[in-house]
Amino acid sequence: MSNAIGIIYANSATDGLQGLALERPIAAVPFGGRYRILDFALSSMVNSGIRTIGLVTPHHYRPLLDHLGAGKAWFLDRKDGGLFILPGAFHGLVGTNHTFCIKDLKNNIEYLDKDFAENVVISSGDQIFNINFKNALEFHNDKQADATVIYKEINNPCDLTEKVFFKMDKDQKVSTIQDKKDLEKTKLLHPYFVNMLIIRREILLDIIEKFSSSGCIDLIDILTANLEVLNVYGSPTCSLIGTIRTIKDYFDRSMDLLNLEVRGRLWLGEDRIHTKIKDNPPTQYTSQAKVSNSLIASGCSIAGEVVNSIIFRGVILEQGCQIKNSIILPKCHIHAHAQTNYTILDKSVTVNGENILKGSLNNPLVVLKKTVI
Amino acid sequence: MRKQECVAMLLAGGQGSRLGGLTRIRAKPAVSFCGKYRIIDFTLSNCANSQINTVGVLIQYKPFLLNSYIGLGSAWDLDNLYGGVHILPPFLSEKEGRWYNGTANAVYQNCEFIDFYDPEYVIILSGDHVYKMDYTLMLKFHKEKNSDITIATIQVPWEEASRFGILSIDGDERITKFAEKPAQPDSNLASMGVYIFNWSTLKQALLADAQDAQSENDFGKNIIPQQLQQGKRVYAYQFQGYWRDVGTIESYYQANMESLRAGHFLSIFDPRFRIFSNEDILPPHYVGSTAQIENSLVCNGCIVHGEVNNSILAPGVYVGKGVKIKDSILLPYAKVHTGSVIRKTIVGENAEIMRRCIIGAEGQIAPDQEGITVVEDNHIISEGSIIEAGRNI
Repeated sequence: MSNAIGIIYANSATDGLQGLALERPIAAVPFGGRYRILDFALSSMVNSGIRTIGLVTPHHYRPLLDHLGAGKAWFLDRKDGGLFILPGAFHGLVGTNHTFCIKDLKNNIEYLDKDFAENVVISSGDQIFNINFKNALEFHNDKQADATVIYKEINNPCDLTEKVFFKMDKDQKVSTIQDKKDLEKTKLLHPYFVNMLIIRREILLDIIEKFSSSGCIDLIDILTANLEVLNVYGSPTCSLIGTIRTIKDYFDRSMDLLNLEVRGRLWLGEDRIHTKIKDNPPTQYTSQAKVSNSLIASGCSIAGEVVNSIIFRGVILEQGCQIKNSIILPKCHIHAHAQTNYTILDKSVTVNGENILKGSLNNPLVVLKKTVI
Repeated sequence: MRKQECVAMLLAGGQGSRLGGLTRIRAKPAVSFCGKYRIIDFTLSNCANSQINTVGVLIQYKPFLLNSYIGLGSAWDLDNLYGGVHILPPFLSEKEGRWYNGTANAVYQNCEFIDFYDPEYVIILSGDHVYKMDYTLMLKFHKEKNSDITIATIQVPWEEASRFGILSIDGDERITKFAEKPAQPDSNLASMGVYIFNWSTLKQALLADAQDAQSENDFGKNIIPQQLQQGKRVYAYQFQGYWRDVGTIESYYQANMESLRAGHFLSIFDPRFRIFSNEDILPPHYVGSTAQIENSLVCNGCIVHGEVNNSILAPGVYVGKGVKIKDSILLPYAKVHTGSVIRKTIVGENAEIMRRCIIGAEGQIAPDQEGITVVEDNHIISEGSIIEAGRNI
């Protein structure tokens, strides 16, 4: 019996993902061969025993709802609880930096109001992770915390401009927020918030009531500004692979999957990542196939050469084509002797024979959905 | 309960003893096939694709893994508003309890189930055949011929005809003669073990058969010949397509291997008639830098570091470095460790082959079962073992 319900902010937007997030929210961007980014947050909550999950939707929610359906693949088609769609507030500009906007919750106050759960687990929908929240929930209850933030430690904070760093006392209670300038002076491990937290439902309702009139304000800002009055604790995780905000993030985190240690943390433990099932047949290799250090999903037909790449479901690679350091999304068709290097092909792209597509490590080439080259 | 036009009775209780180690812990319909499927997927998907919403699955032999695989039938979209999948085990009644004693007896004992839906027609299916078939076409034929019983048939090679139930038909496709496994077959038209009965005809036949102490209570041996003798209208529906009985190690192996051929008959890739399965959700398979995969099928969750040639890797299979796999079928979660060589072998589910083994080695004498080696489910073969071709471990 879980005493927590979940909220996933699936409306985080970015303009850093180029074509990939043009017509879909980050949460619906395909990732890791067969998943969408949202699957990681959703599966983590379900695997933690949470059976009531509200999903804050962005304004272009079609791909998201298409993927989710009634939530059956995550065991969320339930009588008691289940999946709730929480229409997000319309924020106008893409790229606002709010993570957990209070206004989105104000619009959906019924969802929080009518439930009896003690706690609410809140996560953003743009992170790649496989975290079981059971330990954090236990810790949260033991400490009788008002809120528990999940954190990760890092010793090289220079490239993490958007992160919030903080200090904790011996009891893991968050005491102060740290200025980033101070961090660079020391070489210690520094904890920072990852975008997941646990908060008492009653306190969350209080906060929404008090702050909703002040427009778009972020729950994390409210917590950090009220550390004297609220009991905020920190609980560590090491199972966060990363956040996807830019095309470089997307490329690097995808390539991380070729590393056994990363796959181990994400996929090979007891808790599975669930996703929509397509009932594809197995992947077929012809006698000309040559594959090395790559992840290949089901339903593909492979006759070409694939090196250091990630191939999604239903991709056709014809004889003599060369796929290197590339990410090929579902249903792409690469004709004979075409080549790609440091390229991300969105869904259903066709690359005709002999074409050569080439990006670079720091600037992978992105080809829009359904493009014919 | 809403009346159904056609109810399917799926015979899935047989032991499948000729599959040896593959059915030691599970019923034949639950045996893995062609990587990601299990044999029963084909029949259940055929039902789903033929709008047959009510399926009774008759089970008896080691049913747990089969039952848990079928569940509510949601993987095949058979968890319906009306009907659905019903698991029908043998049961106890007021006076006595009985095991299912023959295929006809199994259906006879579940007359109440069929009466509950009060259908016009009952289609009898087998859970151990691999084929894609739209039963609505056969039902249409059954109605057009105003038939009492329609038997699905397929042409088999003459030399194999004596392994099947063989039918002779007249110009109107009405069956004139039926012979179960004849030594001298009159035709090469074989019964596929798929029958459509008018429910009234079937019920009468089952009641009569139950009274007959001499009967083996079998559809092919008793019910069909008796009905022919009584002059019932029995027609042959000629199915054009791919159909395989995978009841023996040899036929199971051959049918799997056929799926590797280009332009595969079954066309499992055809999205208009999909075969559904109740798969574990596993990540994409990983192919390491030392791997070499040729002419093979590979499923999700596999990790491949060695050479795989002309083989099928089911979900979650591990192939270590320096391993050579040729002409083999690795069932779900089988593991083959560094340096082992595997030739023409079926490696059972969760079986583990430790380092430097040779499985399917050429022996002194001519091997049994066409040289196919079988490693039983959950079996662990210790380091450095050499196992000759054709053995069952």
